[in-house]
Amino acid sequence: MEWKAMKIRIVSLFFLAGVFYGAAVFGQSEGEKLFKQICVACHTIGQGKLIGPDLAGVQQRRSEDWLTRFIRSSQTVIQSGDPVATALFEEYNRIPMPDNNYSDDQIRAIISYIAENSPGGPGAAETGGISPAPGRPLSEAGEANIQAGKNLFEGRTRLNNGGPTCNSCHNVKNDALMGGGALAKDLTDAYSRLGEAGVKAIVGNPPFPAMKQAYQNRPLTETEVFDLTAFLQHADRVRDTQQAKNYRTQLLFSGLGGALVLLLLFGGFWTRSKRGSVNRKIYDRQIKTI
Amino acid sequence: MAILDNFLLIGLPYTALIVFLVGTIYRYKATKFSYSSLSSQFLEGRQLFWGAMAFHWGILFLFFGHLTAFLIPRQVITFNSHPLRLLILEVTAFAFGLIVLFGIITLLVRRISNPRLKPVTSRMDIVIIALLIVEVVLGLLVALNARWGSTWFAAVLTPYLRSIFILQPDIAAVSALPWLIKWHIVGAYVIFGLIPFTRLVHLLVVPLHYLWRPYQRVLWAWPRKKVRDPNSEWTFTKPGNN
Repeated sequence: MEWKAMKIRIVSLFFLAGVFYGAAVFGQSEGEKLFKQICVACHTIGQGKLIGPDLAGVQQRRSEDWLTRFIRSSQTVIQSGDPVATALFEEYNRIPMPDNNYSDDQIRAIISYIAENSPGGPGAAETGGISPAPGRPLSEAGEANIQAGKNLFEGRTRLNNGGPTCNSCHNVKNDALMGGGALAKDLTDAYSRLGEAGVKAIVGNPPFPAMKQAYQNRPLTETEVFDLTAFLQHADRVRDTQQAKNYRTQLLFSGLGGALVLLLLFGGFWTRSKRGSVNRKIYDRQIKTI
Repeated sequence: MAILDNFLLIGLPYTALIVFLVGTIYRYKATKFSYSSLSSQFLEGRQLFWGAMAFHWGILFLFFGHLTAFLIPRQVITFNSHPLRLLILEVTAFAFGLIVLFGIITLLVRRISNPRLKPVTSRMDIVIIALLIVEVVLGLLVALNARWGSTWFAAVLTPYLRSIFILQPDIAAVSALPWLIKWHIVGAYVIFGLIPFTRLVHLLVVPLHYLWRPYQRVLWAWPRKKVRDPNSEWTFTKPGNN
């Protein structure tokens, strides 16, 4: 083959690859990006309830103004006494939807993405609705997965991407575990509350602000999400036979013990340091002359 | 609530930082000799020993602990990922927190109860000690009730503090934390901003060179013990002012 023709082919190959790559990266609209990043952890479009309601056709049920306020801060709308918001909050087990600091344009983009993928929308016929990637069903999980999940939860196995261990913020009542953190929710009955899809969605793509921050740039892998969900399901099942641990009192008393040791060290090490005031010596000396 | 969060978590740290910078520089230029802890060991030493020892060792450990989690969060998270190491760190830090509380309360009692210290105690001394007590109590409550802080500090608060320093404040995560933690953060900013107005300026002029300067020899030209005994007569030199 002639070199010139070869060159043209190589260049056009690179050109085409560039075009496809560009289409894959930039073809995603803002609304799609945000929905798949955040909303999909708890909501589907046309695939039924998850942790929160199915959002198919929500743009027809509520006004844009209402949706904007609710997406920004659902708790503010609920606390203002809005009857629809309060009813939703009660219906979905009082699990608060996290606040989102989006601009009006971003919220409009999300709403139009929902509209496109709702039944009757242009995207719906193609996608059949939006829901989190199904992944491996939990029914396949065995003892090994539960054990692996337990080790991940407690930190005996390190999370692959370097995220903080679950038990630094969460507790699960389980005899095999050290008592976990108390910053965030106790997860002993998380599986009953959220179900398989809910747990997987939150672990894999945390919507809560502090947790989102903690796993930013260090997400859990698919296997880790699977094992952790298996462990949480197991922990939920056996919870009635497990003993709750009180690390609060233990921390308090071991801290007091440690403090006492430190004070003894100070008293013992610095025995020769001057403790009486200089003035007292002068004062005493003066008293003696009288 | 968003306004309050913005004020306490964005406005306040920058205010405190500016006040700290301008205040400390101004005070150094204007009244250089006030840059000191204004030692009162001369007037009272026994309570000071226990108070200052406990307080200073404790606060140094805690300050550098917080600083470590800020500077090398990844390593702290890795260290804490094993449950036993996490427990050891938490208990140690909590013990140091308790001796800080013990120390600072001892120092407050000393300031208030000893009449000799009245003349050298300013209102700001009491204010800063009271604030430190509140801050330490809040910190201990956070350690007890929002376990395990050493890890989540590195994961959640470090990015927030970094966002403040790079002038792109992001408070989404930190404003979702419980108020107990937020008040501990706010307390730290307030104390930081008050440094130039209190004796805390001494932490900027820690006399570290004492550690390696040559020691000074004091020579006495007469037998000190004998001279100090008031019943002995002056045999050779009349003592000077010792």
